[in-house]
Amino acid sequence: MTDRPRILVVDDEPQLTRVLRTGLKSRGYDVRAAADGLAGFETFSDWHPDLVITDLAMPNVDGLELCRRLRAISQVPIIVLSAKGEEKTKVEALDVGADDYVTKPFGIDELLARVRASLRRSVTQSKSEPEPTVLDSGDFHIDLESRRVTVRGSEVHLTPKEFDLLVYFMKHAGKVLTHRTLLAAIWGGDYVEQDQYLRVFVGNLRKKLEKEVSGQNYIVTEPWVGYRFMPESGPPAS
Amino acid sequence: MPASSEPKWTDYLVAVLSVGALTLLLKLLGGHVNATTVSLALLLNVLFIATRWGSVPALLASVIAMLCFNFFFLPPFGTFTIAATDNWIALFAFLITAVTAGQLSARAKKRAEEAESGKREIGRLYAELREAFQRASHAEALRQSEKLKSALLDAVTHDLRTPLTSIKASITTLLDEQRDDPPLALDRESRIEMMEVIDEESDRLNRFINGLIELARIEAGELQLRRRWGAVDEIISAALTRAGSITREHRIEVDVEQELPGVRVDESAVSEVVYTLIDNAAKYSTPGSRIRISAQRAGGEMIRMAVEDEGRGIAPDLRERVFDKFFRATRDGDVSTREPSGTGMGLAIAKGIVEAHGGKIWIESAAAGKGTRVDFTLPIGDEETPDEPQPQKSTSEEFSLSASEKV
Repeated sequence: MTDRPRILVVDDEPQLTRVLRTGLKSRGYDVRAAADGLAGFETFSDWHPDLVITDLAMPNVDGLELCRRLRAISQVPIIVLSAKGEEKTKVEALDVGADDYVTKPFGIDELLARVRASLRRSVTQSKSEPEPTVLDSGDFHIDLESRRVTVRGSEVHLTPKEFDLLVYFMKHAGKVLTHRTLLAAIWGGDYVEQDQYLRVFVGNLRKKLEKEVSGQNYIVTEPWVGYRFMPESGPPAS
Repeated sequence: MPASSEPKWTDYLVAVLSVGALTLLLKLLGGHVNATTVSLALLLNVLFIATRWGSVPALLASVIAMLCFNFFFLPPFGTFTIAATDNWIALFAFLITAVTAGQLSARAKKRAEEAESGKREIGRLYAELREAFQRASHAEALRQSEKLKSALLDAVTHDLRTPLTSIKASITTLLDEQRDDPPLALDRESRIEMMEVIDEESDRLNRFINGLIELARIEAGELQLRRRWGAVDEIISAALTRAGSITREHRIEVDVEQELPGVRVDESAVSEVVYTLIDNAAKYSTPGSRIRISAQRAGGEMIRMAVEDEGRGIAPDLRERVFDKFFRATRDGDVSTREPSGTGMGLAIAKGIVEAHGGKIWIESAAAGKGTRVDFTLPIGDEETPDEPQPQKSTSEEFSLSASEKV
């Protein structure tokens, strides 16, 4: 019983927590629910779940504040449930530490896929310490010391900034990265409003990476939010 | 108004002619006027010209006046020569005085005109500015109303999407089981729970949409009241029957005054109001607490009804806002505890119904000092109200019938 991954669902809508509890339990997860951010935080502290799914608009402590408080004490993966029209709050949540988001209304399959991806990532992250000298994931192989990059075995030549961007993408593969997060990570805090830098570099990086495998979309654009890096070759993007 | 611009040739002509005319007049008076009177009269004329046509015609008038004074009034008459030395001084003094006074008064006149036109300019600018302000405040009002509209839209989409999210999550879970890939085994209980959620949330969507339609009708003034004579206790008992399942855990007290007259209202609409108030009372007070429904005769031709609970109450500053559509005290107001939250339409609809009947609705603190008490009044309605839609011609027949039944 104890090895079942634990998921904490935080939503003020009792009907939805009812459905998610049943849906997630039937998939083998151990689930607890909380009705607002405050109760969610308390449950988190007592129960130490492996993943948190939280709504954004809630009474008392909202989802945004919950992300902030959780990040102060833990690296637990957080998936945000957002509604259309909450884009700003969603981006803010990702900026303060949420890992992914699902837009309401959603099918249970989509949520389950995000849950699996987030859990997988957190497992690899906790295993991969101390800092590796080689990043190997999907079609990509990066040697951090010699700064060599190969995609499906063929070497790709990148500028220093493009290299940094790719390394950051690799380290956070599958996770939604907001424009601000990427700008702050690669160019520093003064550049967080300079979206156009990012567009140019991402454009160049895409050209170089996807030259080898045409039709492959490794860097997925998340409209209005940012990018998501998918290192595995999958079916060509539509 | 004199022309404040450059003097025209006619101005010079008039200046010359006026001096000539005055000289002629003075000459006709002959021995009745002395040189001092003549000089003062001519000076007056120069001043007049200066204020009327400006400094240059005044200068011309001064010179002509000096010549006329010399020619006609200083001995020897009819020549430009002057016999006595003191008359030279008089003539010279006259010229200086005429020129100076003329120039000064012309300048003063000009200043006054400039001040006047400055004042007009300021007035014009002020009017323009005020107009600009009005335009700006109009734009601001428009912006505010757009903001309000989008806030309302947000509230509506949230309330539509919330049940939809639960329905979609339930359905996809059930679908997953049918597809069986990867294998998923829902037990019977879970399956029933999913279907219950779908059922309840569909009802919730339907209720919400009905509420929206009702609100739209009220706002458009299209609330069709089917007024008939009815008894207040029947209206209350209809609402209580409907609220049976939600008030099971509360103690209900009904206190209707004896000999309460019948009311001519839309019974189902008023019953809806009472139901909404009971529903709110049950929702926002603890199980086991008391809900009191009362009705009595108020002053004049009014009935006053109230629903009172022992819940947490509503802060005085929110007591008017709770009647605004989509306002929810538990979500939008100051909340310290978690409570179920409604659609934000019930009280807005209740207010619409009560006001369409010509009554009023408001909130007070409950008599016990805690809890909420919602009061509303309804006119007993023995007079016809022609401005409200009368659904049936037979109303008057019913009136006499019901009235005779009640006697």
